[in-house]
Amino acid sequence: MTAILRCIDVSKHFGAVKAVSNVSFDVEKGALHSVIGPNGAGKTTLFNCITSELAPSGGEVTFEGTRISGRKPHELPPLGIARSFQRTSVFSNLTVAQNVWVSAFPAQIGTKVELLRHADSHPEVADAIQTALAEVGLARYADQPATELAHGDQRLLDFAIALAPRPRLLLLDEPTAGLSRSDTQRVMNLIEGLKGRYTLVLIEHKMDVVMKISDRITVMYFGEVLSEGTPDQIRADAKVREAYLGRRA
Amino acid sequence: MRTPLFNWPTLLFLAVAIVALPFLQRPVVAAEILTLGLAAVALNLLVGYTGMLSFGHAMFFGIAAYATGILVAKLGWSGFIAIPVAVLVNGVIAWLVGLICVRRTGLYFIMITFAFNQMFYFIAYSWTTMTGGEDGLPDIKRPLLVEPQWAYYAFVALVFLVSLVILKKVVDSPTGRILQAIRDNPERAAATGHDVSRYKLIAFVISGTFTGVAGSLYAFAHQIMPVDRIHWLFSGDLVFMTLLGGSGSFIGPVIGAAFYTWLQDTVSLFWPRWPLVLGVVFALVVLFFRGGVAGLVETVYRKLFDKAPAKQVATTT
Amino acid sequence: MNTFLIASQLLNGLATGMLYALMGVGLTLVLGMLNIPNFAHGVLYAFGAYFTYAIVKLTTGTAIASVINPFFIGVLFAPFLVVLIGFVIEHIGIQRLYAAHHDYQLLFLFAVALILQELIIIIWGPVGFSVLAPPSLSGVVNLGFVVYPMYRLTLIVVTTVVVLVLWLFLTRTNVGATVRAGIENREMVSVLGININLIYLLTFGLGAYLAGLAGALATPILGLTPSMGADILPICFVVVVVAGLGSIVGAIVSGIMIGIVQSLTSIWWPEASNVAIYIMMGLMIILRPQGLFGSR
Repeated sequence: MTAILRCIDVSKHFGAVKAVSNVSFDVEKGALHSVIGPNGAGKTTLFNCITSELAPSGGEVTFEGTRISGRKPHELPPLGIARSFQRTSVFSNLTVAQNVWVSAFPAQIGTKVELLRHADSHPEVADAIQTALAEVGLARYADQPATELAHGDQRLLDFAIALAPRPRLLLLDEPTAGLSRSDTQRVMNLIEGLKGRYTLVLIEHKMDVVMKISDRITVMYFGEVLSEGTPDQIRADAKVREAYLGRRA
Repeated sequence: MRTPLFNWPTLLFLAVAIVALPFLQRPVVAAEILTLGLAAVALNLLVGYTGMLSFGHAMFFGIAAYATGILVAKLGWSGFIAIPVAVLVNGVIAWLVGLICVRRTGLYFIMITFAFNQMFYFIAYSWTTMTGGEDGLPDIKRPLLVEPQWAYYAFVALVFLVSLVILKKVVDSPTGRILQAIRDNPERAAATGHDVSRYKLIAFVISGTFTGVAGSLYAFAHQIMPVDRIHWLFSGDLVFMTLLGGSGSFIGPVIGAAFYTWLQDTVSLFWPRWPLVLGVVFALVVLFFRGGVAGLVETVYRKLFDKAPAKQVATTT
Repeated sequence: MNTFLIASQLLNGLATGMLYALMGVGLTLVLGMLNIPNFAHGVLYAFGAYFTYAIVKLTTGTAIASVINPFFIGVLFAPFLVVLIGFVIEHIGIQRLYAAHHDYQLLFLFAVALILQELIIIIWGPVGFSVLAPPSLSGVVNLGFVVYPMYRLTLIVVTTVVVLVLWLFLTRTNVGATVRAGIENREMVSVLGININLIYLLTFGLGAYLAGLAGALATPILGLTPSMGADILPICFVVVVVAGLGSIVGAIVSGIMIGIVQSLTSIWWPEASNVAIYIMMGLMIILRPQGLFGSR
């Protein structure tokens, strides 16, 4: 058992409000690990601590043994971490291919500043873009401006941006939020297809979504870890049932 | 496949503009159009491509112009040596000012660039022994080789062309693409591994530097540097040129600069209150033609040839 | 160093600082509520001064002048004329541009500033004027530690009262509370179902009033020139940046601070007094980017 991502006693306080208190869990390499909980459970705050949008007030997050909490968001991708956004987050005036370029370029070429070569002059970047777009099924829109894509397609583009660097850890923040039923299905199919090839951390509040596809689930409640286990264990857990499922299901 | 640096309408536009201008206008006015055009294109690297509205670019135009002027008029240097030195000095100042300015975004950034502009204006205004203060800095003699009006125009056109090629290369480069990504979505750009403030600073320095190149050329236009060219009102004028021409287009700002220079050159002859006309046109552009001339041309072009919509570029945050 | 000089420069700094504070608060209100730095704020200040001048010229020698000094009439009414200009600007331009990016509102205001500054020159000519303080406020007062011009002292008192009244308006009235809430959280106000356009109009008007009043009050000490608006605008921006965006208290404190820094610098190095405040702003951004009282 190898933990690729570890949250160790992570806490985040906003003044007197304890949004996240002493949350610990390990994500195994190659697993799909979901963090669930009702709205306000602190999932997004925890997610932001992992992605370094926020610095935790206590504890630490490590990735492959190195501490990543308290860094700047732009320092994570070079380590092999990518994320998607809850609200679709693309570069609206760039074409679909250029959108993916933005993440593929630093992964293939690095973060040194290139000023005089043409952005599209690296064939390895073009390949990475093609692969990522093919994976999400947007290859035929490559030269269209991102704004022209349908809402569901934009979410898939968001995924392609995250996938293009071939990250060793992919963090997904409520990937189906705000999507129609059919788009939700497309995104779920995509995630299932990624399983096994990527290590995935999924923040979600839709229970049904999580139960079907997760290898392991951490349940958060009022900023703390209520329970952790396989989907079956979680389903059987009385505490979870009482706190979460009891009210919802 | 190699992507051409300029597409053919842009090339045609550039060729016609550079060759035809001095026949349509006096050479010195034609030179001024290209000079201000360069300043506006450089500003647009920030405004249109990075989404940072600088209201202080007159400071870089002015610093380079004064530095050039002082080196030539006070120290007797040749213009050909003074220009690169002045551009370098201005570039360093742009870097220092940029270090502070890019720490804040949005409205803050606008206000800070604006305020620093005023600081440099005051320095130019009060340091009369060096800058001539209110009366301007006179005796900025052109190098002998470019002394005649036509030669000066040719020199300006050459620098203009070389600068535009460099700027276009920057825009098309990985850095240029990352700047556009930052413009559209800074949070996502950071999350894909790009150090947003570093890139903003790079854009700021390149933009300020090339606006400075224009300033250096300008010092020789009338061989005097007037103090109002480093005032924040001129920063606004530069933004106006960028917007009127169209911030969504690389070459658009040149059109804005041409209009501005023409307006100043003709209207000011019979009406000293020409900035009023400028203000009215500016207000109308902002209210009704936010894409500028280039945006208008593109809309028409698209309607005629039914092309996919061009990338609309707004200034952001 | 002469303590008398320092004391009077401190008071001078306080007097101009209070003017900056008035301007800064007006700018903050508009900035917080409408999310635009009002580039026309300076020129509205200039109009406050020029309207005062015009009213003084118009009423001097008439029957009214024997009842009340023309200057007071100017200070009372000029700001309201400025408010009218503010309403027109808001109505023809800003309101149309709410849907567009706020950069365009800002650029529209820049265009308006350009137009209005030229109008001043067209109406009143390019040469500056001065307006005398009324006889009742002329002369000097002995404050014990310093002999100080009566008008400047009055200016400090009046602006303090205005700031207090404004504070009461913002904290004790419903409209004021809405405006304050809007500055702190724009989305919330629209959620509350308040006529947001009306609030915008009022806020812009209030900002214009404060600029107009500052302009009117400044006439006896700073005089009038067509560029007076363009000159004070950058200082107002510094006030707001140092204060922290959206902080009214901050704008008052930093306005006074900047006035004092400026007047103290001018004791030792007059040429640098105008540069000093920008250096102060630069240091502030490095040391405390959010400003004195800013949270965002």
